[in-house]
Amino acid sequence: MSARRHPSEERLLAFEAGTLSAPEAVVVATHLALQPQTRAWTHLARAVGGAVLEEQEPSPLKAGALESILARLDDAEPRPDLVVTRPRNTDTSLPAPLRGFELGPWRWAGPGVHVRNVLGPRDGDCRVILLRIASGQSAPRHTHNGVELTCVIEGAYATQDGVFEPGDFEEADPSVLHQPRVVSDTPCLCVAALDGQIVLPGRLGKILAPFVRL
Amino acid sequence: MAPIRHDGTSLSVAKQNLPVGLVAIHPPGRLRRIRVMHATRPAPVQRGAAVLVSQPPRDFSALIALVAQAKDRAAFAEIFGYYGPRIKALLIKSGSAPAMAEELAQEAMLTVWRKAASYDPARASVSAWIYTIARNLRSDALRRGSSALYAFDSTFGAEAPAQPDAIVSGAQDDACVRAAMRSLNPDQAQAIEMAFYQEQTHSQISQALGVPLGTVKARIRFGMMKLRAFIERETGGRA
Repeated sequence: MSARRHPSEERLLAFEAGTLSAPEAVVVATHLALQPQTRAWTHLARAVGGAVLEEQEPSPLKAGALESILARLDDAEPRPDLVVTRPRNTDTSLPAPLRGFELGPWRWAGPGVHVRNVLGPRDGDCRVILLRIASGQSAPRHTHNGVELTCVIEGAYATQDGVFEPGDFEEADPSVLHQPRVVSDTPCLCVAALDGQIVLPGRLGKILAPFVRL
Repeated sequence: MAPIRHDGTSLSVAKQNLPVGLVAIHPPGRLRRIRVMHATRPAPVQRGAAVLVSQPPRDFSALIALVAQAKDRAAFAEIFGYYGPRIKALLIKSGSAPAMAEELAQEAMLTVWRKAASYDPARASVSAWIYTIARNLRSDALRRGSSALYAFDSTFGAEAPAQPDAIVSGAQDDACVRAAMRSLNPDQAQAIEMAFYQEQTHSQISQALGVPLGTVKARIRFGMMKLRAFIERETGGRA
């Protein structure tokens, strides 16, 4: 059986329920932006959220709440720009969810591998990075503490589970050591939620390890 | 001989569970009816009540259109009266302090007023739309930076290619979604519902229910698949 290329149903439900950690949610949102057919699940999850809201036993608002809201309506005229979130970076090649965050500088992380941080979403040690890996190269070695989600933005990589192409989502199993290799002619750009540290290769890596957190 | 209840146990046993006041003040005939109600399994009674509570009394989609087109305050007050207290209840159940839940519920209703023109009934039910407004406000309040995350989908995929399946048109139909929820087995429905109480991550649900995490995930997964199959079947049949 080929591995799945989209987030599990329970992860998509958690995304819509707002209970995913921020780094995980960023990778899921990137996948949804690139793979609209997965939105069938998020549409469903949202509809279920609406049904759950309907089923609530009403908890009355404070006396006078309606009056105070009505008094505020006049200075709350609809503003068309409210829906628009201003992009925080100028990389127009990135999917929409990633444009809402500032980006750190590209850093070298081994032969053919560059990494930059997506600033903001963080949950303990788990954070979001962009990885750019040259054709024919492998992803950098890294320690792996828990959740690790990846979504391909450009190019393609292959693991023992097959080829992952733009929009494909992978949830790495911590018990399996997998070495993704870039199989596209162009570099492969991925977004990943990473819990753990990237280990720089060779002696230089050992020397730098205490100082560099990738 | 003590009368036999529906479930086969004798009434004298049930008597011990009755509030003393009821036994004292009601005549035997009335008392018996109360006992029969108590003897009835609680689930169907609650379910009947929940259905009554959950039926939206008005066509909220039309009310939102009135707000969008005519700035109709009476229509807004009606939406407020129905959804405001439900948003507050959901937020409290999700772990918000009552004062915070009150503030966010009011803020959500203000957002409904501001964004009424962006509501598209072809994309989502009113309850799903209002649910996402409340969810986003809450996530922002918790500084999860989620407005950027969910903004790309604020149009509910309007910019995306048409969905190949019936799920989108089915999911905008509240009655269909609730019927689908009732088709789940209780374990699946409970796991899915708990996933929406926002502080309930899947591992917290696992602890609360005393079942393994994998079981919780499987219940959610198969429940979601069942919901989707149900809605697609319903919508496909109607089309």
